[in-house]
Amino acid sequence: MDENVGYVVAGYAITAIALGGYVLRLFARAREARRRAEVVAARRRA
Amino acid sequence: MDVAARGLGKATSRSGERALGIAALVAVVVSATLSLVVAPPDAVQGEVQRLMYVHVPAAWLAYLSFFVVFISSVAYLKTRRSRWDRIAAASAEIGVLFTALAIALGALWGKPIWGTWWTWDPRLTTTAMLLLIYFTYLAVRRVVDNPSRRARWAAVIGIVGFVDVPIVHLSVVWWRSLHQQATLLRVGGPEIHGSMLAALLVGVVAFTLVYAYLMTLRLRIGRLEERAVREALSPQVGELEEADV
Repeated sequence: MDENVGYVVAGYAITAIALGGYVLRLFARAREARRRAEVVAARRRA
Repeated sequence: MDVAARGLGKATSRSGERALGIAALVAVVVSATLSLVVAPPDAVQGEVQRLMYVHVPAAWLAYLSFFVVFISSVAYLKTRRSRWDRIAAASAEIGVLFTALAIALGALWGKPIWGTWWTWDPRLTTTAMLLLIYFTYLAVRRVVDNPSRRARWAAVIGIVGFVDVPIVHLSVVWWRSLHQQATLLRVGGPEIHGSMLAALLVGVVAFTLVYAYLMTLRLRIGRLEERAVREALSPQVGELEEADV
């Protein structure tokens, strides 16, 4: 096996972690933004 | 521009978002298979050349992201509609991610081939400048409180900052560089083996779909945040129109 294959594994792992991590962070931000919007709307109705 | 905004409105609906997510995931799996299994190792560099199939698409998506920032910034300054500012902000954030990824992958490729993680080569230096420019763009968005002033200042940086993108691309032509010449966008067409070219093009398509998906998610957050602010400030505004991207 090519001795440099570790760099390839590291590169694809970094790509997966960066993109997957960003997607998960966006999901969390969307949940938080929705919750905040609903709290503000509920306060206005009250 | 209204036609473009309407098209984007459809793509950013929840069903459009889900369809884009599935398409992006399938494309990424196909791309990984082609680049790690189907494409042959490079005759000179061996296995490490497979980093090209993620490094080049990441760099391409950085260009595309900042082009979208540029166009949206021009549209904002022309129309003063907040949807263009939201699109620019979303694309800048994603562009920073892809630029940082391109630099990290380039460093991983550079170590075994050039013998160093980093060198002050024209391509690497101008790319680092690109990252700094859009970090500044995001920093300005955080420190300016007034929404219209924030959008105006960010739009100016988004337009001026885009000047660095052609400089990054042409740096390997204008100056002596360790970095190889352009792989795809070159006079006379690409000069790589057909199966490598196919894997690279599929990688570019997959990353572009990932970008589109990330944009839909990021734009939804922008809409929700603006909705909370509107609800807090105005007694008349309760619902955000779906078409308002």
